[in-house]
Amino acid sequence: MKAVVLIALAACNGMDRGPHERAAGHAKPVDGGTLRYATKDRVVSLDPAIAYDETSSYAVHALHDTLVDYAPAVRGDPHSGTDIVPHLAERYEVSPDGLTYHFWLRPGIAFSDGTPIVAADFVYALDRVRAKPDSPYAQFLVDVAAITTPVQNELVFQLARPNMAFLAILTMSFTTPLRPNTELATGPFVLERWDQGRRLIVKKNPRYWDAASIHLDRLELIENVPRDVQFLMFERGELDAAERLSAADYLWITERQDWAPYVQHRTAMNAFGSRMNVTQPPFDDRRVRQALNYAVDKDHEVKLLEGAAVISHGILPPGMFGRDDALTPYPHDPAKARALLAEAGHPNGLDLEYVVLADEEAMRLAESVKSDLAEVGVRIRITPMSFAAYATAIGSKSGPAFSKGVQLADFADPVDFFDLRFASSEIHDQSSNNDSFYANPELDRILAAARAEPDRNERAALYQSAERILYADAPWIWEYHQDVTEVTQPYVAGYAIHPIWLRDFSRSWLDR
Amino acid sequence: MMMVKRLGWTIVVVWFAITATFVMATAIPANPARALLGPHSTPEAIAKVEAHYCLDRGFLGRYACFVGNIAKGDLGESFRSKRPVSAIIVEHLWPTVQLALAAIVLQLLVGIPLGVLAAIRRKRWQDHTANLISLLGQSAPAFVIATLAMYVLAYRFGWFPIGGYGDTFGSRLHHLVLPAATLAAAGIAYYARIVRTEMIDVLGEDFIRTARAKGLSERDVVVKHALRNALGPLVTLVGLDLGVMLGGAVVIEFIFAWPGLGRELLQAVLEVDLPLILGVVLVAAIAIAIANLLVDLVYRWLDPRLRDQP
Repeated sequence: MKAVVLIALAACNGMDRGPHERAAGHAKPVDGGTLRYATKDRVVSLDPAIAYDETSSYAVHALHDTLVDYAPAVRGDPHSGTDIVPHLAERYEVSPDGLTYHFWLRPGIAFSDGTPIVAADFVYALDRVRAKPDSPYAQFLVDVAAITTPVQNELVFQLARPNMAFLAILTMSFTTPLRPNTELATGPFVLERWDQGRRLIVKKNPRYWDAASIHLDRLELIENVPRDVQFLMFERGELDAAERLSAADYLWITERQDWAPYVQHRTAMNAFGSRMNVTQPPFDDRRVRQALNYAVDKDHEVKLLEGAAVISHGILPPGMFGRDDALTPYPHDPAKARALLAEAGHPNGLDLEYVVLADEEAMRLAESVKSDLAEVGVRIRITPMSFAAYATAIGSKSGPAFSKGVQLADFADPVDFFDLRFASSEIHDQSSNNDSFYANPELDRILAAARAEPDRNERAALYQSAERILYADAPWIWEYHQDVTEVTQPYVAGYAIHPIWLRDFSRSWLDR
Repeated sequence: MMMVKRLGWTIVVVWFAITATFVMATAIPANPARALLGPHSTPEAIAKVEAHYCLDRGFLGRYACFVGNIAKGDLGESFRSKRPVSAIIVEHLWPTVQLALAAIVLQLLVGIPLGVLAAIRRKRWQDHTANLISLLGQSAPAFVIATLAMYVLAYRFGWFPIGGYGDTFGSRLHHLVLPAATLAAAGIAYYARIVRTEMIDVLGEDFIRTARAKGLSERDVVVKHALRNALGPLVTLVGLDLGVMLGGAVVIEFIFAWPGLGRELLQAVLEVDLPLILGVVLVAAIAIAIANLLVDLVYRWLDPRLRDQP
């Protein structure tokens, strides 16, 4: 008994929870060392044609490079990391009609075993994606009419219709060159070992074309570690970085002066809200949809996310080109919401079902939406679903009409947000990508024009007008864009959260 | 003869478990194809995936496709990771076996002495302490014990690693202590209570009085005569516990990042990864069936009267 009391007492005693190690202060990057980080999920697959989840992408992106990629992110610059720069290609040209993309491969590029990379390796990988029935990526190549290799180190894509997002699509890892039946890497690292569901270790690829910028010997990704456990491991020095902290850890660390320099935030390319099926009553009435936009207190949601989010006015996240930063989000105005509902013929309110993903954070936010809507007489019943059930249900035209809406970017272009979610061509009775079933010929015209518009300013202007239409028509309750937060040990240098790749440590180094 | 009959029943039980799981998994209103292909999928692509994985067939067609292949010894590929289910199970079964065995050993090593102590020191402070420990172990949920143990013993004191699996034998044992102890906590408490009750009953029997009258030492009376007779119910419990634990301890595996089967099953259910769900259930059902078989054999060894029964 005494022992128990002693242990309890010792556990309550104060202990220094500040950073244990300091940076050594080297002016230039130091080579060597292993950076250890963890994720709450597992790596599903290392096959670039299959892996389609965030955790797998950390590994796949470290192992596989592409013709073009985003520039590295810069800490503190909210617009950094979205420009596309040549990687395995040395340069490229786009024809004035936007239909031909010509790439010249970088001289001397090779797979991790030294085999030179030739244009045919890209063709093989893309054909493989198109032939695999269960690759989620074949759909990104629908605009490609032909891929040719005029000479060994040139690659030409012929598109059937102009798509200004095509370059952004080519940043996705599934376009990496491959050799049949090999697992050769083309990225900054090669696979050292993978104990499935436990950890994945990659080591530096000396044959990488930009090996001079890679300083770490190894990256060790520990899988399946819950967020709060990650933070305990981080504090004990078992991890060099921890992300998406749980609420308590997040609040604690953001208030600590000594940790502040090592905490990073970045608004990632995402949008969260509540999606409504505009073909089903009562959501077929725009006034109802607007009323719900006025009814939800977005400030409160951001508070529930510990401030790690920005209120949204539409689907495009901050930092995305084409976003109209002048638009202001719907204010929280219950009186106006009630008036609009009454005008739409619902003076006594409504009873609705609200479908959400069954995770703790989504449930917490759903409760907030529920109490906000109750205030204006809209009573909702929350139905939590697993991801697979949710994805099936909301893609069905006759399925649940009101649900949490989530959009995560595949690539940094408005096409990935607008065309996918709101173009009428994406409407199907089942498995509809346009899951609000919103069809507007005017918006379709603007989106088609923007997809083909080569002038960047003109294109941005078109997307801004699309934003205004969707703002007014409100097929979603526009709620927030979520930040990513990461805390690193003081000696982790050269790391910035990337808006698309999120945790890209490839160019980090250990200052110790 | 008895073995053949038991084996036949085992096959029926395993078949039933698989079929019941299949029925439940297909009743989930979720299309795995949609979850697989992500938000950019076209109806044509979904139709292709459905055809590829037999998802476009009727109930019996799918049953033949999934359960029929299992009968042929082919567990198929995981929808999600495209890896053979048998490979995934082999990888995650060993961590689960280690965790289960360690927990059972702890339950026996701690639970039995605790129960015996409580019985022979009945109504004394040893009994009360054992009762208190039993109450705590049985009433505190595993996640509370796990979180507390992790916080105090691993995080504050640093005696154990916070989570993970370990590479060398020594480090593996070190990593195993907290998850195994947490998993065993409820079992220790339960075993102690069972042993205490049984011991108190047995110690009141005539043959114990006879043993004492023969002049045997109290130690021999308790260990050789009373304990052996009190262990019967425990054997059943160990068998059942072992079977259940081999199916995976989801909560413990989750909290301590232990790469076992339970986590894999949970993930598979959330993703409607039918081949993986069926594969894990198959292994769990076989484990429980084998554990039951072992229980019967141990019973016969413990109680010679059963040996002559058919």
